[in-house]
Amino acid sequence: MTAADPSAPSTSPRPVDGEGKISLTLHVNGREEHLRARPHHTLLEVLRNELHLTGAREGCGVGMCGACTVLLDGRPISGCLLPAALAEGHELTTIEGLEGPNGELHPIQEAYVEHTGFQCSYCTPGFILTTKALLEERPDVSRDEAKAYLAGNLCRCGSYVKILDSVMDARDRLRGG
Amino acid sequence: MPGSLAFYHPTTLEDAIGLLGEHGDEAKVVAGATALTILMRQRLVAPSALVSLGSIPGLDRIEEVDGSLRIGAMVRHRDVELSQIVRARIPVLAETFGKVANVRVRNAATVGGVLAESDYASDPPAVFVALDAEVEVRGPNGERTIPARDFFVAFYETALEPDEIVTGIVVPVPAAGSGTSYHKFVTRSSEDRPCVGVAALVRLAPDGSAADLRVAVGAAAETPQRFPDYEALGRGHVLSDDIVGRVADAYAGAIDTLDDMRGSAWYRTEMVRVWVRRAIESARDAAASGPAAH
Ligand SMILES: Cc1cc2nc3c(=O)[nH]c(=O)nc-3n(C[C@H](O)[C@H](O)[C@H](O)COP(=O)(O)OP(=O)(O)OC[C@H]3O[C@@H](n4cnc5c(N)ncnc54)[C@H](O)[C@@H]3O)c2cc1C
Ligand code: FES
Ligand code: FES
Repeated sequence: MTAADPSAPSTSPRPVDGEGKISLTLHVNGREEHLRARPHHTLLEVLRNELHLTGAREGCGVGMCGACTVLLDGRPISGCLLPAALAEGHELTTIEGLEGPNGELHPIQEAYVEHTGFQCSYCTPGFILTTKALLEERPDVSRDEAKAYLAGNLCRCGSYVKILDSVMDARDRLRGG
Repeated sequence: MPGSLAFYHPTTLEDAIGLLGEHGDEAKVVAGATALTILMRQRLVAPSALVSLGSIPGLDRIEEVDGSLRIGAMVRHRDVELSQIVRARIPVLAETFGKVANVRVRNAATVGGVLAESDYASDPPAVFVALDAEVEVRGPNGERTIPARDFFVAFYETALEPDEIVTGIVVPVPAAGSGTSYHKFVTRSSEDRPCVGVAALVRLAPDGSAADLRVAVGAAAETPQRFPDYEALGRGHVLSDDIVGRVADAYAGAIDTLDDMRGSAWYRTEMVRVWVRRAIESARDAAASGPAAH
């Protein structure tokens, strides 16, 4: 993962301002965002508190539940485990980045709505983003494969059956063109 | 709230090593950050400097060199899992990395990170030990290699000096006629860390006896456990139920198993007995059916 300022000397720390914050440049949902945060802040904290993108949520805070899922260069990661400073230089996608130019839902979102692949929906952004990465990697994924891939996303409402229905329908929608 | 944290993004290994020397115990290397972020949040470590390896070119390569695969320290778990060359040459390595945690952790966690962390309940260490891998390390005095067997010293402790960095690991491709296996036994959920993990390698001689047998047990004690004396019980023999059972009993008797929320010491001992047997059988059967055996 690359540093913000390639001209900065290799052995100097990132400059810190009077509040103990560093400057960060993040590429989120196709936009370049400039912000300041404390050096230890996680990507999840920065997305929610500085960029007000609240689709990524904190569940467990230790990498186990997937409520904080963000796509980094298209791959799902836990926002709760990544210092924001290490997210620079990468393309980040949050659930807010899935809508079309006129606010249309993404086909995966439509599938989740149609099958009610949620109850309280706390876990839903994480499931949808993980589904997106899965279907990009394996457009013809089987239900069992999807189950294994999504096993690290937890739904406390237990919507798993409908979530898998949604994933299979999303697969068919995307394959259908 | 941590006082101040200096974040460094050195672009060469020399600079990174220099920073570690300069800051001493106050500095931490950061790779995928999946372990370090949790430790910092729980205030189990409070470094004043983080030295990221992410801006140093060349640490994220997988290449075949002289009959071994060399895997760079910044290669992500998921890249080992999906790598064509790893799947073709050392499939058990791809499978093992694919069994770690969940896809999000595997997308971030690095090979250098799992080595340097030396968590007793990680999966890859036992496989590296069984395959006679060697850890490549760089410090102020240059490079050295440490056999994986000697690298893991104790709970969260390795043979690394404080100003040394893991640069990669070299894993010999098993000889023709070999079969390998890794069995991850979990007791709580499918994405859990292992209660016991067993890696085995069997190479069959043309007469069907075991020319080589290697067994490493992970997650049962502080470090991966390997016993050449008990491997020798199987070498030179046809790996019958009786012989395999003897090796499994010897391992179960020899390991001072630990007690944690994934299993009591007594239970782990019994699981070592079961999974050593199964791991040897899988490796034996893979050796017998593998194309390399004919
Ligand atoms: C939810 C969850 C589930 C998990 N389940 C499993 C599991 O089932 N099986 C399993 O095996 N593991 C599991 N893990 C552990 C995970 O694989 C480790 O967190 C990971 O391997 C650490 O790698 P990293 O690159 O993120 O290391 P970091 O967090 O960046 O670093 C870890 C430690 O190693 C040091 N370090 C890192 N790289 C180097 C280097 N190149 N040279 C010197 N020092 C270095 C750091 O200073 C730090 O002390 C799990 C983790 C989580 C969060
Ligand atoms: S909040 Fe990050 S995985 Fe649970
Ligand atoms: S819908 Fe409530 S947690 Fe999944």
